[in-house]
Amino acid sequence: MSATPLPPQPAPPRPRGFTLGHRIPPPSGEYRWVYLWDAPLRAMHWLAAIAIVALAVTGFYIGKPYFITGGAESADPFVMGWMRFIHFASAAVLVMTAIVRGYWLLAGNKFERFAALFPVRPRDWVNMWKQAKFYMLMERHPPAYLGHNPMQQLSYTGIYLVAAVMVVTGFALYGQSNPGGLINRGFAWVPALAGGIQMVRFIHHVLTWVLIIFIPMHIYLAMRADTLERTGVISSIITGGRFVDAKEKFIDAEDA
Amino acid sequence: MAATKVVVDPITRIEGHLRIEAQAENGRISNAWASSTQFRGIEIIMQGRDPRDAWAFVQRICGVCTVVHAVASCRAVEDALGITIPPNANLIRNLVHGMQFIQDHVIHFYHLHALDWVDVVSALKADPAGTSRLARSISPWPNNSETYFKAVQDRLKKFVSGGQLGIFTNGYWGHPAYKLPPEANLMAVAHYLEALDWQRDVIRLHTIFGGKNPHPNFLVGGMACAINLEDTGTINAERLVDVQAMIRRARDFVEQVYYPDLMAIAGFYKDWAAIGGGTKNFLCVGEFPEAGVNDFGKLYFPRGVILNGDLSTVHEYDHKLVKEYITSSWYEYPGGDDVGLHPYEGETKAKYTGPPAPWEYLQGLDKYTWMKAPRYDGKPMQVGPLGRMLVAYASGHDDAQGIVNEALGRLGVGPAALFSTLGRTAARGLETVLIARRMETWFNSLIERVKSGDTKTFAGEKWEPSTWPASCEGYGYLDAPRGALGHWVQIKDGKISRYQCVVPSTWNCSPRDKQGQMGPYEAALVDNHPLVNPEQPIEILRTIHSFDPCMACGVH
Amino acid sequence: MSFAAPSWFPATESVEDELARRGVSRREFMEYCSSLCIVLGVGKSEAPRMAAAILADRRPSVIWIQLQECTGCVESVIRTSEPSIGTLVLDQISLDFSHTLMAAAGHAAESAAAAAMAAEKGKYLLVVTGSIPLADDGIYLTIGGRTAKVILEEAAEGAAAIIALGACAHWGSVQAARPNPTGAVGVSEVIKNRPVVNIAGCPPIADVVTATVAHFLTFGRLPAVDGDGRPLFAYGARIHDQCPKRANFDAGQFVEKFDDEGARKGWCLYEVGCKGPATFSPCPIFQWNSHTDWPIGAGHPCIGCTERGFWDTMTPFYGRLPDVGGFGIESKVDILGAALAIGATAGVVAHAAATSVHQMRERKRSLPVVDPTSGGPGTPKA
Ligand code: HEM
Ligand code: HEM
Ligand code: NFV
Ligand code: SF4
Ligand code: SF4
Ligand code: F3S
Ligand SMILES: [Mg+2]
Repeated sequence: MSATPLPPQPAPPRPRGFTLGHRIPPPSGEYRWVYLWDAPLRAMHWLAAIAIVALAVTGFYIGKPYFITGGAESADPFVMGWMRFIHFASAAVLVMTAIVRGYWLLAGNKFERFAALFPVRPRDWVNMWKQAKFYMLMERHPPAYLGHNPMQQLSYTGIYLVAAVMVVTGFALYGQSNPGGLINRGFAWVPALAGGIQMVRFIHHVLTWVLIIFIPMHIYLAMRADTLERTGVISSIITGGRFVDAKEKFIDAEDA
Repeated sequence: MAATKVVVDPITRIEGHLRIEAQAENGRISNAWASSTQFRGIEIIMQGRDPRDAWAFVQRICGVCTVVHAVASCRAVEDALGITIPPNANLIRNLVHGMQFIQDHVIHFYHLHALDWVDVVSALKADPAGTSRLARSISPWPNNSETYFKAVQDRLKKFVSGGQLGIFTNGYWGHPAYKLPPEANLMAVAHYLEALDWQRDVIRLHTIFGGKNPHPNFLVGGMACAINLEDTGTINAERLVDVQAMIRRARDFVEQVYYPDLMAIAGFYKDWAAIGGGTKNFLCVGEFPEAGVNDFGKLYFPRGVILNGDLSTVHEYDHKLVKEYITSSWYEYPGGDDVGLHPYEGETKAKYTGPPAPWEYLQGLDKYTWMKAPRYDGKPMQVGPLGRMLVAYASGHDDAQGIVNEALGRLGVGPAALFSTLGRTAARGLETVLIARRMETWFNSLIERVKSGDTKTFAGEKWEPSTWPASCEGYGYLDAPRGALGHWVQIKDGKISRYQCVVPSTWNCSPRDKQGQMGPYEAALVDNHPLVNPEQPIEILRTIHSFDPCMACGVH
Repeated sequence: MSFAAPSWFPATESVEDELARRGVSRREFMEYCSSLCIVLGVGKSEAPRMAAAILADRRPSVIWIQLQECTGCVESVIRTSEPSIGTLVLDQISLDFSHTLMAAAGHAAESAAAAAMAAEKGKYLLVVTGSIPLADDGIYLTIGGRTAKVILEEAAEGAAAIIALGACAHWGSVQAARPNPTGAVGVSEVIKNRPVVNIAGCPPIADVVTATVAHFLTFGRLPAVDGDGRPLFAYGARIHDQCPKRANFDAGQFVEKFDDEGARKGWCLYEVGCKGPATFSPCPIFQWNSHTDWPIGAGHPCIGCTERGFWDTMTPFYGRLPDVGGFGIESKVDILGAALAIGATAGVVAHAAATSVHQMRERKRSLPVVDPTSGGPGTPKA
C-alpha cells in the first residue's frame, strides 16, 4: 500500500471539541494518505455508473414511450430502436463491469475484496448500528473504517443484488426474441421462478426505481463524507486514495 | 303399463353437456328432467377483475355464440360507467352480431339439427336428377344441377363404402320418424357440405372488425378497429368491399338455400307443428339497437313479453322482474334455497348434492342440475327465435309479419302452429332471413357516416378508472341467437364486485322452480310428445334441438 | 396438404390378421359388409370385394372428446381453410366420435365411441378439447354420469397420441383463472403416459390444428414441441418479433389511446397493453380465418391467449404490466417510484440541512472548551 509523503501543512486555527466535523483537522494533526481503490475498480465504477443511468433512462422509455412519439413515417426516427440499442449496449457494459468487479472481489486489495464489500463479519453488524446512529445524528463518532463502513457494505450488497436481478430479468426478457437461443434457454428458469414473463417484466420495471432511489442517497453520502467527515471519498473513487488521520485506529486497517 | 325410465346423455349436436331424463308410457313422454352437467364458475372468476377486461372473460362462456356475451358485457360496463359509444361502433357491433346470428343459425340448421329430420343413408338411394328437379323448383341457387348432386352422392357412397361411418355411426337411419323422400335427403346432405364452406367464408366479417373468429375482439367504449380510408392497416375501402361481399353472400345463401330447404323439409313434418310447444310465455329483450342502446323504440327486434300465448298483448319488459331460483339446482343461497334473487343481489355458490359419479338416474332428486331457474315475475319464459318473432309479430313489426305470414301460408298452417317444435325451428329460419336483409341497411348507414367524415369508433372519456365513480352498477341486455341475455355488473373501486349472467339457455333449460313449474325444455317434452322407441330417442332430439341448446352458456 | 396414411397403417396386413387383432370374427365382419352392400344397393355378391376395400383403404381414426369448455375450439377447427373441414372429415380421417357433429346421441353415441376405441386400440389419434375439473371428485363435469377424468383416462388408454386442443385442454383456460372454482386442469396434468401435444390458444387458429393432424398422419409422430408442449412450427417465435407493426414499435410510433391518430395510422399497440412481446403464436404469419386478418391487425392488442395462465398473468389486458396485489398498474408503480425517488432526494437534502444545523449548534456549544494549543501542524507519515 503506497502512502505518498506530503509537505507539512499549517494547522488551521480551528476549535477542538465535539462537533460533527471533529475530524477537521484530525485530532492528532497528522494526515496520512491511504490508497484504497485500484484503477480497474475506479474505471468499472464510473462505467457502471454511466451504464446504470443510461439503462434507467432508456428503460423508462421502453416501459413508457410517451415522452417521445415517432414522426409520421415509420422507420424514419427509429426512436425505440435506438433506445433498445442503447439499453442493451449499456447492459453489456454493466455486465462487463460486473465481471471485472467480480474478479476484483478475489484479486483486489483488502478493501476491495469480498469481505470488505459485504457485511460478513460479526463486527460489521455491531458497527452498522453505530453508523446508523451517526447518520441519525445521535452519535458523534462514526466507527472508523478505511474502506466501506458497514452501512456502505450493506447498501452495496443490496445494490449488487438489485443489479444482478436486473441483469437476470433483463436477459430473460431479451432472450425471448430467440426462443431456441442460448440466452433464452439459459434464463428459462427466471420466468419459471417469477411466475411468468410478465412478472419478470414487472420486477425489472420496479427495481429500476430502487436503483434510481439509490443514486441520490449514494451521492449524498459520498459528498457528506467528503465535506463533513473530510474522508475524501469522492476523490478516492477518482484518484484511488484518501487522507486520513494518521493516529486514528481503523477497524479494517489490520484486515488480511 | 309402468313408465319406462329414459336417459339421453350425452345429448349430441349441441353446445355442451346436457342430460335429458324422461319417463315414457305408451309411446308418449309423461315426465321429463333437463340436467346440465357442467359448471365452470365464471361469475365467481369475474370478481376483482378490471371491468374493461370483463368482455374477454365472459366471451369465453361460449364459443358458439361467441359474440354475444362480449357485447352484453361491454353494454353492462358502459351502462355502469355512463359511456355512450359512437354510432359507428354501434353499427359495427350490429354487423358483427348480425353475422353471428346468420352463421350460427345456418350451422344449427344443417350441422346440428338436420340429422334429426334428414336420413343420410336414404340419400344414397336418391335419383340425382330428381334432386335437381326438386332443388330447381324451390330455388334459383346455382348449384342445382344433376351433375352436382350426383357428385355429392358419389362422394357419400365412397365414404360409406369405406365402412368407416365416422360421425354417422349408430345414427337412427331408417327410423320410421324420417319422412323425407331420398331426393330431398340428398339435397339436404349436399347443402350440409356446402354450408360448411360458406360459414367459413362469411364469418370473416368478424375477422375484419374483430381480428378473429371465434372470439373476436371488442372494447368497452366502442370498437378497437379504427376507420381510415387512407391507411393499409385500418378499416379502409378494401376491407369494406370485402365486408359488403360477405353480406351479399350471406343473404344469397340464406334466401336461396336455407329458407327454401327449411320450407321444403317443414312441409314433410307438419305433424311436428302440434308437438313440443311447452311454455307459452315468451320473452324478448330486444336487439339490434339502431339509435343507441337506450332507445328501445329503435330496436330492430322489439322487446316485450307475451304471456300464455296471448298475441293480442305485448307486455313491457322490466329487468327488475327477473329473479333466479335454485330450488332444483346445485347451489345455495345465503337467504335460503327457496328465495329468488335479482342479479344485482345474485349469488353463485356451488353446492353439489347429487349422487357421487358414476350414477344412473337423477330423476326424483330435489336438485338435479347446474342450471339456475330464472323466472320473470315468477313465471318461466321461453326465449329464442320464436319468442323474438312472436313479440315482433304481435307488436306489428312489418318485416316480421310479412315473413311469418308468408311462411304460414306456404305451409298452409295457422299461427297456432308456431307454438311447437316445428315453430321454433321455422322461426329461426325466418329471423335469419330478416337479419340477412337488415345487414345491408346497417352497412349502408356505416358507409354514409364514413362518407360524411365521421370515422369515430371509440369513446374514451371514461376509459381511465380515475374517471369512474367509487361504486356503480350496470345492466347489459342483448337478444342472442338463442334468446334473451342479460349481464349485470357491479363495480367498486375500479374492480368488479359482482357479475351475474342470465343467459338464453338458462331460461330455456331451467329446472323446476319452487312452485314446481317446469322449464321450457321440460315442458316441451311433455307437451303431446311421442317417443316411439326409447332406444332411439330421435323425437327427444328433435324437440331439444329445436331450442338449439347451449349448456356452456346456460350455466357458465 | 395431402394426407397419406402413416407407414405403420396396416395396409399390408392380411384381412384375417387384421380382424383377429381387432377381436372381430370373420363371419361378423362379412355380415357387416353384406349389409353395407345392401344399403348401397350393389348386391350381396360384392361383399368380399367390399371387405378387401374396407381393410385396405382405411382412413386414420380420430376420436374427439369434449370436456369442460366453451366449444370455441370446435368452431375454430370448423373454419379450417386447407383442407376444409368437409374434406378432412369425409376424405382424410375417420372422425369416429365428435360430440358436436355426431348423429347418434346417448348410449348409441357412447357405444360408437367405445367400439371405435376398441377397434382402433393403440392407433387412434385422440383429440381433447376442454379441461378436466378435479375439485370435489370431479362432479363439475359428468357425461353419461361419469366424470371428465374417467372419460379422459379411458379414451387416452388406447390412443397412439393425444392432441390437447386449445387453452382449456392445454392448461384449463378461463375456468382455471383465479380462483379456479372447479379445480380445472389441462390434459397433461391427468395423462402422463401418452404423448400429448398442446395446441395453444383460446381458441387456436384452425390451420395449426389441421397442420398438426397432418403432421401426425404424414410422419407417424407428433411435431417437435417447445418447453410447454406446443409445436415449434407454430409457437416457435414471439408475436412481437413477427409483427408487421414492429417497424412502428422501433420507430416509436404508438397508439396511445384507442382511435387516436396513431390508431388511424395502424401503429403499434404496445402502450395500450399489447402482449405480443410476451406471447408465442403464429398469428401474424398464419393469420386468422383464411388469412383474413388477426387481432393486432384489426387494432386490438394481443391478450396473450396462447400462453399458459394468461387470464391471470396477462391481465389487465390494457396495461403493459401485471397488476400485482392490486398495485401493478404502471401508473401506480411509477407514481410510487417517482414519489420515493423524490422523497429520497428530499430526505437527502433535509438530512444535509439538519446536519448543518446540528453542526452549527454543536460548534457553538463547544466553543468554550477550545484548547488553542492543539491542532498544530501535522507531519504526514510515510
Ligand atoms: C443486463 C442488464 C439488462 C438487460 C439485458 C436488460 C434488458 C431489457 C429488456 C429486454 C427490456 C424489455 C425491452 C422490450 O420489452 O422490448 C428491458 C426493459 C427495461 N429495462 Fe432493462 N435490461 C438490463 C438492465 C437494466 C437496468 C440495469 C435497468 C435500470 C437501471 C433497466 C431498466 C429497464 C426498464 C425500466 C425497462 C422497461 C420495463 C418495462 O416497463 O417493461 N434494465 N430491459
Ligand atoms: C460523486 C459521485 C460518486 C462517488 C464519489 C462515488 C463513490 C463510490 C465509492 C467510493 C464506491 C465504492 C467502490 C467499491 O467498493 O467498489 C462506490 C460504489 C458504487 N457506486 Fe458510486 N460514486 C458516485 C457516483 C455513483 C453513481 C452516479 C452511480 C450509479 C448511477 C454509482 C454507483 C455505484 C455502485 C453501483 C457502487 C457499488 C459497486 C462497486 O462497488 O463498484 N456511483 N461509489
Ligand atoms: N347468450 C348466449 Fe348463447 C346461449 N344460450 C346464445 O345464443 O349459445 Ni352459446
Ligand atoms: S380454449 Fe378458449 S375457445 Fe377453446 S374451448 Fe376453451 S375457452 Fe373456449
Ligand atoms: S403491436 Fe404488439 S406485437 Fe406488434 S410490434 Fe407492437 S407491441 Fe409488438
Ligand atoms: S390474443 Fe391470441 S389470437 Fe393471437 S394475437 Fe394474441 S395470440
Ligand atoms: Mg348466471
